Amino acid sequence: MLALLPQAIIDGVLLGGIYLTVAMGFSLAFGVLHIIDFAVGEWIMLGAFIGLIFTKWLGVDALLSLPVVFVIFAVVGWLLQPLLHRVLSGSRGRPVLMGLVFTFGLALAFRGSALTVFGIFTHSLDTVLSQGSWHLDWGPFFLTVPLIRLAGLVYALAVILGFNYLLKRTDFGLAVRAVAQNKEAAGLMGVDVNRTSAAVYGLYVGISAMTGVFIGAIVSLNAGMGPDLSIFAFFVVVLAGMGYLAGVPWAAFLLGLIQSFFLIYFNPSHVLLALFSILYLILLISPTGMFRKGV
Amino acid sequence: MQRRGWWVAVVLALALGLSLAVGPVLAADEFKIGVITSLSGDLATGGNVTKRGYDLWGKAVNAQGGIQIKGKKYPVRLIYGDDQSQPAQAASAAERLAVQEKVDVVLGPYASGMTLAAAPVLEKYKIPMITGSAESPLIWRQKFRYTFGTIPPVNFTGSAVIKTLAALPGGPKSAVIYGTNDAFSKATAEAFQTTAEQVGIKVLKFNILPPKQDLTPLMSAAKVLNPDLIAFGGHDEELINLVKVLTQLDFTPKALLMHYGVTEPAFIQALGKNANQVLGASVWTGSMQTKGALGWPTAKAYADAAVAEYPKDPADYTQAACSAAGLVFQAALVQLAAAPPLDEAARTKLVEILEKIDLQTFYGRVKFATEGDYYHSNAGLTPLTVQILDGKERVVAPAESAQTKLSYPMTPWNKR
Repeated sequence: MLALLPQAIIDGVLLGGIYLTVAMGFSLAFGVLHIIDFAVGEWIMLGAFIGLIFTKWLGVDALLSLPVVFVIFAVVGWLLQPLLHRVLSGSRGRPVLMGLVFTFGLALAFRGSALTVFGIFTHSLDTVLSQGSWHLDWGPFFLTVPLIRLAGLVYALAVILGFNYLLKRTDFGLAVRAVAQNKEAAGLMGVDVNRTSAAVYGLYVGISAMTGVFIGAIVSLNAGMGPDLSIFAFFVVVLAGMGYLAGVPWAAFLLGLIQSFFLIYFNPSHVLLALFSILYLILLISPTGMFRKGV
Repeated sequence: MQRRGWWVAVVLALALGLSLAVGPVLAADEFKIGVITSLSGDLATGGNVTKRGYDLWGKAVNAQGGIQIKGKKYPVRLIYGDDQSQPAQAASAAERLAVQEKVDVVLGPYASGMTLAAAPVLEKYKIPMITGSAESPLIWRQKFRYTFGTIPPVNFTGSAVIKTLAALPGGPKSAVIYGTNDAFSKATAEAFQTTAEQVGIKVLKFNILPPKQDLTPLMSAAKVLNPDLIAFGGHDEELINLVKVLTQLDFTPKALLMHYGVTEPAFIQALGKNANQVLGASVWTGSMQTKGALGWPTAKAYADAAVAEYPKDPADYTQAACSAAGLVFQAALVQLAAAPPLDEAARTKLVEILEKIDLQTFYGRVKFATEGDYYHSNAGLTPLTVQILDGKERVVAPAESAQTKLSYPMTPWNKR
């Protein structure tokens, strides 16, 4: 089974790529807006369905729907953010808890509506990359890399690099970081806090929806797919350290690799037990995440 | 203070209105049929298939004025309890239907885990339940006196497919078998494993997995073992994911066997040409030659009626078995000849009638076993091996019901 080692690593990294796509928007929303958005799985689900409709309607490759899905959902997020802001601010106490309740409600509403509108069935998004794979052989070792999963990983890395550039090298990024640190002070320095927050939320929703298209193509999509994704996003982000965006890729890859190695080399029945035991241990030793940089 | 008084008045008025609205229903002459099934949650797809089956029966009965008891017709009213795909919710739905709704009988959940949770509650209230879907042998081993089922247990149906494959010239010699960790899927995988070993197919790997696992690492490992057969016990979403993973890894076994889910239209719609040649087990198709003594006269008549009601989704065996469960209650209630609401003595008598019933329906024969490991499950049917061919579900075994020949080995994914 040693021959499977490269395959176990690549399977883990590619699986980590899926977790990464799910978790990065979630981390951004928490880091900047201080929202624990439990509707992230539902944004992903809705994105996947809009991708499906677009793909079926025009009969084109699912990946071509990505820009359309992004624009639609970025606008939706932009329009929704003021509502969220109202819930989080004002005279009510415990804004984090209020945000949690609000997004939980959003998730329920989205899931229920999707069940009604899109129905109960599981669907699959078709792309030209769905079926292909690369095979590599070196003596006893070999490797199969499914193209669509590789595309998912590339997408995830591109978004992370894009975020990094945006946050560190642009004026908008400076404003975002200022808002994340202290809203009042940022406002006094001339940053339009409301607009910046709405833009970040729009960006987050748009990216999550695009992730849906990838998930629909790599695995499948249905109206009930959200909660599991939200929970995984939450775990990745907690492991990385709440709000520490740079830790997210490492946490996602670690989860993917643990899962892949356990499924291949140990008893697959206990994979979730192993995963969460390790997660628990890490948080026991370092409650602020792997890098001790979370909040 | 004045404002609060106003609110109290509004609430009281609403409560009064509500009790008046509910009042006449309590007195109405009808059979109250409780239905517990998964209308939301992970298993909502299958749950809604059962709902269609139950609704179709309810509609057909009421179209004829209801069930005839001593010269008077009593319509049926289906009262739903959503188990949200969670056993605990199934138990509380059963409790609600028994205590608040005071149902006469219950049509049971889609999934086995939920059935196992609801059955003890109904046992406590002595309310008979027929499930038109649950297939785990665990249910019948509990020997619940008030629980019956129209689909034979999966170790009975699943084993038939393995035997069909083993009998093929040049059939599979080795297998990798996985199942998801829920009552039905686990039992399916175990049935595949036991039978494979019995018929001399070598099981290279067998594991029960937590639900919704990413299957890529497992199938990468399976690819190395290169088994002739991959068999998987699971539900629709997992089965779709499995085929997608196999296509992504470009690994085509000689035979790919699943059980339930293959017969769901969503499976074919989601996978297109890659659904072809996948094998499954079933107990009913619309093409079967059956004669119904009650309700729909033939399998085709039922299939047509189902498509007329739900044009997008042709009926599968679960939907048919659910409608048949309704028919069985109907026949038993006619024999019981007691007007609703049924008291405890009448419900116990109904169980005795159900134990003796031997009914020919469009779905085939329903005759419940009264002893042994299959206690109260349907022992009247022959299991079928089905295969998806040209995007359609076809019976390929046994020979007397086969519509066409089994296609083996599978065409590689990249040559389709």
